[in-house]
Amino acid sequence: MPSVIEPIGPGKSPNVPAFRAQLERWNRKLHFYAGLFLLFFMWLFALSGLVLNHPSWSFTESWKNRKERNYEREISVPGPEVKGDLAQAHAILRPLGIEGEILWTTTRTDTNVFEFQVRRPGHFFFIKADWARKRVTVRQSEVNLWGVIKVLHTFTGRQMNDAGNRRDWALTSVWAYSMDAVAAGLIFMVLSSLYMWWKLPQKRLVGAVVLGLGSLLCGLFCVGLRWLF
Amino acid sequence: MKGRFYQLTRDLHLYVGLFISPFVLLFAISVFFLVHSWLLGITSETSTTRVVSALPLPEDLKMLSGRSLIDALKPTLEKAGVRGEVGFVRHMIKEEELVVPVTIPGRETTVSIDIAAREATIVTRETGLADALVTLHKSPGQHGPDIRMNWFYMRAWRWTADATVYLVLFISVSGIYLWYVLRAERSTGLILLCAGALSFFGMAYALSH
Repeated sequence: MPSVIEPIGPGKSPNVPAFRAQLERWNRKLHFYAGLFLLFFMWLFALSGLVLNHPSWSFTESWKNRKERNYEREISVPGPEVKGDLAQAHAILRPLGIEGEILWTTTRTDTNVFEFQVRRPGHFFFIKADWARKRVTVRQSEVNLWGVIKVLHTFTGRQMNDAGNRRDWALTSVWAYSMDAVAAGLIFMVLSSLYMWWKLPQKRLVGAVVLGLGSLLCGLFCVGLRWLF
Repeated sequence: MKGRFYQLTRDLHLYVGLFISPFVLLFAISVFFLVHSWLLGITSETSTTRVVSALPLPEDLKMLSGRSLIDALKPTLEKAGVRGEVGFVRHMIKEEELVVPVTIPGRETTVSIDIAAREATIVTRETGLADALVTLHKSPGQHGPDIRMNWFYMRAWRWTADATVYLVLFISVSGIYLWYVLRAERSTGLILLCAGALSFFGMAYALSH
């Protein structure tokens, strides 16, 4: 690698080596700055991924160890200005002081009964409103820290098989975009590490072998299996 | 001694990082599909249908369920030329039919077996690379641990996914050490580490309380 003080060939801008040196310096700096900023996010997603992949690990059990609370409250029937299930759900939740992502799980068979779920990491609310009786029953389940960790991994407010279910809680959107930011940060860290490795000629061969092995193995799962079978 | 430890840590950080970088890219790219329910690739899927007759079926088919049913159906699927991870098998008693979903990352096959006729209608859908990444990201997952990972390659994927996590933990810890050695970068790094911790714990607290 030419140093900043080395003479440069004809036709090359004198700023090129200085620019490259700056690029290398900042690439390296940004690599570990991004790593340090994302450290706790990375640990959360790595650890929770491991826990989700091993449901048989009894020490991470959360649902069986949940604490449940049931209560019933009086509700006022929303007026005609409250249109749609989502608006009705918000009208029920507001006086109850419940906040979270609203999930649609039950198809209505009785127009007087409205059932839905509200979820946030660590808390699950199963709500059943009876317009005829003007009562709402709430089953509230609280899970332990492992349960919170597991939900944080998957808390996107969207489901692949249900495009109609949209995010309806501001904090879900904040968390979802944080997941994007972490993913973008990781992609940047991978690309910056590849650049740093390429700038070390003495490490290129071993690095290429290791990177090649990793790519082959990963490629086997992504496309190779379809090709083989 | 200190210099050798630093060199060794630096080399391991580099080589381990290079090895897992394709896997980190796989998990990171698939995040965008999962977070936003993007169905890239799935929309351009192709589908083929074929029929296979004279299939061998297990004698005690009606007595089996769960993992034992999947294991017993393996020779049937082998004969039908269908390979992959078998999902939840539906037994339609009235129709005397078994519906067996079989997945290979990027391909979904549905095998509908007419038990009386010993005949299978096989529908194969090529769902593309994006779907393959999503499938791998979500595998093995927390649901159906008794039946999941019934194909060797998906079991191998579970080991690989676990190994990726352990190696990510290693490179993050070794990365902290390599940063800490750089005295000139300590204060800036510490500020970013604290800012990251504050963002993370702040968000986690707001979401869960």
